[in-house]
Amino acid sequence: MSKIGVFVCHCGENISATVDCAKVAETAGNYDGVTFSVDYKYMCSDPGQNLIKSAIKDKGLTGVVVASCSPRMHEPTFRKACAEAGLNPFMCEMANLREHCSWVHEKGEATTEKAIDLVRILVEKVKYNHSLNEIKVPVTKTALVIGGGIAGIQASLDIANTGHKVILIEKDPSIGGHMSQLSETFPTLDCSQCILTPRMVEVAQHPNITLYTYAELESLEGFIGNFKAKIRKKSKSLDEKLCTGCGLCTTKCPVKKIPSEFNEGLGKRTAIYVPFPQTVPNKPVIDRKNCTYYIKGKCKVCEIVCPTGAIRFDQEDEIVELEVGAIVIATGFTVKQPDFFPEYGYGKYADVITGLQFERLASASGPTLGEIRRPSDGKVPEKIVFLACAGSRDPAKGIPYCSKICCMYIAKHAMLYQHKVHGGKSYVFYMDIRAGGKQYEEFVRRAIEDDGVNYVRGRVSRIYEKNGKLIVNGVDTLLNAMPVEIEADMVVLATAGVANEGAEELAQKLHISYDPYKFFAEAHPKLKPVETNTAGIFLAGACQAPRDIPESVAMASGAAVKVAGLFSQDELTREPIIAVVNRQAPPVYSSCVGCFLCVSACPYQAIEKEEIKNRNGEVVKSIAKVNPGLCQGCGTCVAFCRTKSIDIQGYTHEQMYSEVMALLNEY
Amino acid sequence: MVDLIKRAKELIGTSAVKVVIGYEQGTGNKTRAVFVEKAEDADKLIFDSRCVQNLAAYVTKKEVREKGKMAIAATLPVMRSIIQLASEFQVNDKNLLVLGITPDSKLVEFASLVEVETFVHQYQIEIDERNREMLGKLEKMTREERWKFWIDELAPCFKCYACRAACPMCYCHRCTVDFNQPQWIPVPSHELGNLEWHLMRAIHLTGRCIDCDACYNACPLSIPINLLTKKMLLDAKEHFGGYQPSLKGDHLMSTYKPDDKENFIQ
Amino acid sequence: MAEFEPKIVAFVCNWCTYAGADLTGTSRIKYASNVRIVRFPCTGRIDYMLLLKAFDEGADGIIVSGCHPNDCHYTSGNFHARRRWIMFRSLCDFTGIDTERIKFSWVSAAEGAKWADIVNATVSSIRELGPYTEYKKVAKYPEKEVTHG
Repeated sequence: MSKIGVFVCHCGENISATVDCAKVAETAGNYDGVTFSVDYKYMCSDPGQNLIKSAIKDKGLTGVVVASCSPRMHEPTFRKACAEAGLNPFMCEMANLREHCSWVHEKGEATTEKAIDLVRILVEKVKYNHSLNEIKVPVTKTALVIGGGIAGIQASLDIANTGHKVILIEKDPSIGGHMSQLSETFPTLDCSQCILTPRMVEVAQHPNITLYTYAELESLEGFIGNFKAKIRKKSKSLDEKLCTGCGLCTTKCPVKKIPSEFNEGLGKRTAIYVPFPQTVPNKPVIDRKNCTYYIKGKCKVCEIVCPTGAIRFDQEDEIVELEVGAIVIATGFTVKQPDFFPEYGYGKYADVITGLQFERLASASGPTLGEIRRPSDGKVPEKIVFLACAGSRDPAKGIPYCSKICCMYIAKHAMLYQHKVHGGKSYVFYMDIRAGGKQYEEFVRRAIEDDGVNYVRGRVSRIYEKNGKLIVNGVDTLLNAMPVEIEADMVVLATAGVANEGAEELAQKLHISYDPYKFFAEAHPKLKPVETNTAGIFLAGACQAPRDIPESVAMASGAAVKVAGLFSQDELTREPIIAVVNRQAPPVYSSCVGCFLCVSACPYQAIEKEEIKNRNGEVVKSIAKVNPGLCQGCGTCVAFCRTKSIDIQGYTHEQMYSEVMALLNEY
Repeated sequence: MVDLIKRAKELIGTSAVKVVIGYEQGTGNKTRAVFVEKAEDADKLIFDSRCVQNLAAYVTKKEVREKGKMAIAATLPVMRSIIQLASEFQVNDKNLLVLGITPDSKLVEFASLVEVETFVHQYQIEIDERNREMLGKLEKMTREERWKFWIDELAPCFKCYACRAACPMCYCHRCTVDFNQPQWIPVPSHELGNLEWHLMRAIHLTGRCIDCDACYNACPLSIPINLLTKKMLLDAKEHFGGYQPSLKGDHLMSTYKPDDKENFIQ
Repeated sequence: MAEFEPKIVAFVCNWCTYAGADLTGTSRIKYASNVRIVRFPCTGRIDYMLLLKAFDEGADGIIVSGCHPNDCHYTSGNFHARRRWIMFRSLCDFTGIDTERIKFSWVSAAEGAKWADIVNATVSSIRELGPYTEYKKVAKYPEKEVTHG
């Protein structure tokens, strides 16, 4: 039999001005199961809380209803008071007599009647409350960072510096990402590699970081604090322990004409190669698709010249199994290629290039050693045109968003061009200038005012070749839509920043959400930008949306702090308002029939299949099981289950039924 | 059906299956289900236009499953039920073999449930003329008239639950009416309780009912409860583009589209 | 004769509409006192049977309210709820249950004024429709069960 205590608060005059609190307490005292009912001026004050605590101890109360303000205000206060008096905190419920009653109705009998009803329904609910204990989940204090660009590097260093182990995996042969391809960064015009390579080396040398390059995520299981990841280390055809990075093999390899990915197709590389000289780790990789040995079974020059005998042609991919507690995704982005644009030549014109390709031309270690030259004939362009918003902000092309960084890098590219090609003329066709960061607007102004870049507000409708020149047909909207035609030597398209190929597949492996553009989804657009809806998996950098370097670094550090916070405890505690599938004695085991429709209804993929085995080890039945680490307590599965086998603590079938029935019984 | 009998004999004889579920001659001019476990009993198997009972209701019953692998003589509605049951993990290729009977009464044996699904997806679930008329009549009534119609139709229901027993999708061994803590739906025949029961059942069948009319055929009072599930079928088509049983398991009610359209939420 | 005062039950989600109703309170916006709120973690938890039980036990009108689509605290509970309501409402209408007496809405935690409007509008429309005697008539049980724990 329940022994419930009802405590009606006056809240000073906030409640008692319109509600007859004494009457509410008196009426409640007459309900079946209520053994103690009082009203008091300030329940949340120390004396008020002591009133509750002493009632629990003296009267042996099994449940408490505090009729006062909103539970969103003081539920933790009163639950804590109950816990201190020895009553399980989840046996305490609150009736909202203030926000939902006294503050919104006039003084009168109807208002007091409503207050009485609200107390009654919570009394009926509490009769079906169960003692609940917070859930504890152990935590493996190792982090997995996927992606070795600037965001992944920053996150790895930050986590490693808190004393926890990090495993960083990168699918390319080297870490560094797009930042390593840049020549200079805005707005400081710092040499990109100069600021990046020390970080890359720090990662390689950090005692807490294990680096796997040329490796990808194969599969992921588990949940926050307890992930099991399988990594596929693609075979480099190399024994990394023996290789000293001398580079002899790359100089002697006879296959020299493969388009270099690092140089965005503008330069060539060999079949055994390092992507760029400052590669970390400094070990080459054999590109098996283009290596003569793998295609025809001949050559092996690299093996012959290698001074340490490190080449291993028969090496296979290796699967590494890891146990990690948190994952940071920093897989970055890519840009659209010119072949996406029919109006700009479908990629046919060699001199219509992307912003990243221009970076490689401008870079001192690039295919032209830092000289801006046309890819077609190697001549220095006298007139160069930059197109902003190539693909971005264009719903017709399926990319309605702004790629954020292009206005800045176009200004940068135009400035670099003007610095390198004295007397050259540069034009930028733009729609708007988005330069919102620190020193960004000033940077763009310098391009226009100091370096003489011609900014034309208008779009380009067509580019075509004529007599060896690229004819750019645009318009100047600030001069009344006057058509503008430029005979350019080179055109740089600021193509849209888009999600990587394989982003969707990776998101599905990780069970995280992604938006229609395949950028990974954050948990809340304003207040949770580095978390995903999957507990324990965090986001950093451009994989979530196009962004520049300072923002990527900030986000990476933010994700690192979240991981460090997670690792600061040995166990995670969570509120026990979660769903549970019932279990019964054999041979029934559970009223669940194993239809698993709840599995697809759960927003957090928190429901798994559990196989019930008999004593002989044979599978008797498959039923649903809720993972307490992942369930967030929404109850969608509960309303969905036909057999009502799954129930949510705190809002059980019995509780909600008794609330509704009590509401109207004496209404 | 000669092919069916021959095949059933082979399957039992080679122990490829342990029981063949089919139709046999019953009392009077009715047919009933038969569970053939011995090769000689296979001669009892028949198939004609009277065979409309949905045999898929048996494949979830413990007494049948514990015999071993089952084979089932399946017309198109039965095949649909089987695919729906498979999408809810109640049957699979290991415990069930489907001997399909096409709409023009030919025997087709399917090597796997995937083949059954391909066959089933060739046909849309259509509501027949007579029922369309009935539904149309109800649409034209006023709300009060409809209420009176259903309360009166359902009043004689004495809660025999034959509809539940005959429906292949009602395989839950603890049905929502069996729940008494709390008692959601009253047990005895009761004006409102009867409506609640049939409403609840129609809701639990949303997205799962394949319109076989087994519930209506089983009802001793011929109450047109299949109109409720047919209405759900039509609504599913109108609001969500309809559904087909599918092994992929994209259930109508456990999935959603962010742009589901409605006109009543303020 | 006393004017008919409708009895309205509101099924709301904790994160949006309950918070929105709290905001109505802190803003001291007055509305009709006929509504009693039952709190759920999410609209996805709201069982169809609870709505029918509310009518069963004497409610004249029901409000069901939650977070706007895309704003659900649990990501997609309200999407599932919306699909269910579409089918449930259609079925109720088909069997003659008065769907004018069930109001569905999205009220966010910032929409205190909207909550007051919804309550007031519902109360006045139910007052016009009158008590739900049709339902109460068939809900009579031979003996009234009293369930207290």
